[in-house]
Amino acid sequence: MKRSLSPLAGRHAPSRRRFLRGLGGVAMALPFLESLGPKKPARAAEGDAPPFAIFVRQGNGVAQATFDGEPERFWPSFGPGTPLTTANLSAETDRSLSELADHASKLIFVRGCNFGFPGNGCGHSGGGNQVLTAARVSDNPSGNLSLSEGESIDNRIVRELGQTGDEPLTLYAGRKYGYLDEVLSYRGAHDLRGAEQSPYNVYMDLFGLSTVDPEELEAIRLRRQSVNDLVRSDMQSLLGRTDLSKFDRDRLQLHFDSIRDLENGIICGLSDGEVATLEQIQANVGNDDFIEDVIRLHFDVLALAMACGAVRSATLQIGSGNDGTQYMVDGVKQKSFHKISHRIDSDGDMGPPIPDADILHSKIDRKLLGLFKHLLDKLASYPMPSGSLLDCGVAVFTNDLSNKWHSYDNVPFILAGSCLGALQTGVYVDAGDIAHNKILSTIGAAVGCKNGNGDPLDDFGDSSLPTGRVDAIVTPGF
Amino acid sequence: MRGIGILLVGCSVAALAACTGTIGDNPGPGSDNDDADGSCVGCTESGIQIVASSRFPRLSHAQWENTIVDLFDLAAPTGLSASFASDPLGGKSFDNNEASLSVSSTLWADYQTAAEEVAMMVTGDPALLAKVVPSDLPSDPAARRDAWIEQFGKRAFRRPLSSDEITLIGGVFDQGPSFYATLDPFTAGVRTSLEYFLQSPHFVYRAQLSADVSDNQLITLTSWEIASRLSYAVWDSMPDQQLFDAAEAGALDTIEGLEAEVDRLLASDRARATFRRFHDQLWTADQYDNLTSKSETLYPDFDPAIGVDMRGELERFVEHTVVDNGGGVRELLTSRTTFVTPEIAQIYGIDPATLGPADAEGFSRVELDPAQRGGFLTLSGFLAWKGTAAQPDTILRGVFVNLKVICQELGEPPDEAMGAQLGSEATNRERVNALTGPGTCGAACHGNYINPLGYAFENFGALGEYRTTDNGVTVDASASYPFEGGAQSYANAVELSAVLAESPQVHGCFSKFWVEFGLGRTVKDDDQALIDLIAAESQAGASVKDMLRTLLTSEAIRYRLATAPEDQ
Repeated sequence: MKRSLSPLAGRHAPSRRRFLRGLGGVAMALPFLESLGPKKPARAAEGDAPPFAIFVRQGNGVAQATFDGEPERFWPSFGPGTPLTTANLSAETDRSLSELADHASKLIFVRGCNFGFPGNGCGHSGGGNQVLTAARVSDNPSGNLSLSEGESIDNRIVRELGQTGDEPLTLYAGRKYGYLDEVLSYRGAHDLRGAEQSPYNVYMDLFGLSTVDPEELEAIRLRRQSVNDLVRSDMQSLLGRTDLSKFDRDRLQLHFDSIRDLENGIICGLSDGEVATLEQIQANVGNDDFIEDVIRLHFDVLALAMACGAVRSATLQIGSGNDGTQYMVDGVKQKSFHKISHRIDSDGDMGPPIPDADILHSKIDRKLLGLFKHLLDKLASYPMPSGSLLDCGVAVFTNDLSNKWHSYDNVPFILAGSCLGALQTGVYVDAGDIAHNKILSTIGAAVGCKNGNGDPLDDFGDSSLPTGRVDAIVTPGF
Repeated sequence: MRGIGILLVGCSVAALAACTGTIGDNPGPGSDNDDADGSCVGCTESGIQIVASSRFPRLSHAQWENTIVDLFDLAAPTGLSASFASDPLGGKSFDNNEASLSVSSTLWADYQTAAEEVAMMVTGDPALLAKVVPSDLPSDPAARRDAWIEQFGKRAFRRPLSSDEITLIGGVFDQGPSFYATLDPFTAGVRTSLEYFLQSPHFVYRAQLSADVSDNQLITLTSWEIASRLSYAVWDSMPDQQLFDAAEAGALDTIEGLEAEVDRLLASDRARATFRRFHDQLWTADQYDNLTSKSETLYPDFDPAIGVDMRGELERFVEHTVVDNGGGVRELLTSRTTFVTPEIAQIYGIDPATLGPADAEGFSRVELDPAQRGGFLTLSGFLAWKGTAAQPDTILRGVFVNLKVICQELGEPPDEAMGAQLGSEATNRERVNALTGPGTCGAACHGNYINPLGYAFENFGALGEYRTTDNGVTVDASASYPFEGGAQSYANAVELSAVLAESPQVHGCFSKFWVEFGLGRTVKDDDQALIDLIAAESQAGASVKDMLRTLLTSEAIRYRLATAPEDQ
């Protein structure tokens, strides 16, 4: 017998705000409004936001020069070593990175970074396994099921700098296909983290109680603490068993560490109109036609989260492991980006050619960089004592491949922000064919991570890789 | 669109070896699995090996949703799980795989919010509240509280509560009035307790707490734990009262009692959804919902929404074949009874005006042409999904059959093969063969394993329509495939399907997926005896229902493997 949905359900996931209204929150209709622009947190922290890192991943490589004659369409025509200015970057009209010209002085272009290990049967999966981990790719499982043998840098940042049980924000824009979806964030070897598609869910998880008045909040806190205490007791009883497998113990420990009591801390929030915008897109978070809106809204929530110090690291994966999104380019819905990146009308290794596929690839690079610019704009819109929120952390635009050939060499790392002066900005460097663990160490160190000796992090990733940072972008003394 | 990289491997012997993996070697009982004293670790009387698994498989989101419906006797699912943090399935076939199911801080917060919402909903509705608060509870407040906790807790935790648990939960219950002053004290206590029950690990996980270890490192599950294994395997939800009663009476400790309950569950109306769900997930039919665009020249009326109907066709095909007609693997691969909308009928060359009565969603039963079609591999959805804009996607069709029907593992193509473009040969088959067939770098995998299966479907165009010519040339759908028992030839998809229907490899493959689904975990080498048991029945003509029955009445359901100290 088919079951129909209850009144609580519908096409959209039920709103948690329904719960808040039931608590005595204001039960008013929320009109759809254009975003009112950036809002300062309702009760913002004094001083700069703590350093943070946001990693944005595009799939399928970028349209850079290839050995088979495709021209350079990504990197600037001027070489590494040339300072980045709005003027010189704006002039690069045939290069995708010109999309970021407005923020030139805050940018760091790093080329010459290579993944350290080959994939194991699937270029996309192997790249995804490595891009934020610099760890080996698993022997088993293999192919599209391969996993990383180490934690990702976003996890390292939160594990070291956050509180017990903290997790990085792990976000996803686009459709999930069930073949190769999440690829980026790992708690540890083989422990891939699921990613959230809905910016509304992200917002509500972080700030859902921001509109509740203090008395009600205290009542909720006490009630939840009472329940949490008994749940913790249950968990401790289970964890106290001596006959648990490592798998079970790790899982239960993760669960136990996740149980949090409500803190009476500073509360941040977006305007009702902005929240309504988030809620309205719920039903379409996996729809190609809305992916650009979803990405912008994810960025809006991420910026707020960093401004409020809610989390120290986050990832946004755009598209699946081999991004099959059908982007709109020049007003036309294109074939899947994965096929365009192959230059053929097939997800496999052979098929009829797609006309001007290299140009389409470049246009998609531009589109996604334009969306990355939205993040930079948003971060820059929050004033902080040291300048803006963009100056407090670093936003990273990268890829799990370098080009159409599934290459792992010269994977682009485009950074923005200095982490309160730890990084030199307005620079374009060639790191010189280094293993990319160094750029990840550099970012981790800039946010505040240390190595085992208490010095700035310089040994992230697989232990077989050379240690060190990309000194050319590190501010002397940091 | 599925992004499966298709598959060329490098031109080396090692690559050839890498192309030919199957389900791993079975060490057999009494070999590497012996304890120091020679007893066989995990061995059972029947010869089935019990494989290590989690003591705490978490409820999948679908299971959470179904359990809430059954626990509170709701008219319909709440839909709350749609906002839960997603589980990274990582390419696993089914959403109930324990390896993918953990509670992160995000999901924990989701559970907390959902528990509070459900508690509010239930205690705010007198009719719902009456379903969980019997009218015959004691009148004394403390006794009433304890009685309610005991009886509701038994259902929520799917086992009896200890007296200590009842006492501890009573402590939370008694705080209810301070949290919900506007409710009567008992209801306030119920609401607070419900918030606890739905967040407790004993609800969130299907906890297996039994601990007595036998000589073979086997732990016999309690009746309650067996009841949960059965109900979540067949209904994706908690046991019903009859199954609880059977557990309480010890009926599940006997083979007769176990079989009686398994038969009842499998015969239930609710089990239909299980068979639909298994095949839908195994064959990734959700991908039909997002068909790639087709050539406007060849298919001017193409509407991608037809993919949703194609998925509906497959659902009905499975229900009819497996549930209504008691079919097995053979029938899934050869049956020609399907259910079509007028649009799908046209793909099959059936005049919509001749269709019989339609169901509520517009599907009519038809019999397909036996000369053209037989089995699910010749239905519209698979063929259209694995079709390019204008041609069959020969490679992807071949890959699918290798991986999902035969369980023939395949390698992956080298990066330098990416972007290879088809030539200008006259037919699709010739173009594919020229690029990947014998004499090319792809010969090892494509030539031997992938292409022969893909060629069998050359009679079906990009949308699944039947064709006898390709570019004016008569279609050649003949090929030969190197099954484990020897190479077999076929002239077309109908003959291939008939060959597959008789193949021990195929019956073994299908059985392996049922073990994965039924036990909610990845299959291991030591599962081979269990797989062989089910496969033998399938080969002998057993229905899919009977295959699942064999699994659920086997010792795999009654035991778990004790955890080795080195694994702690």
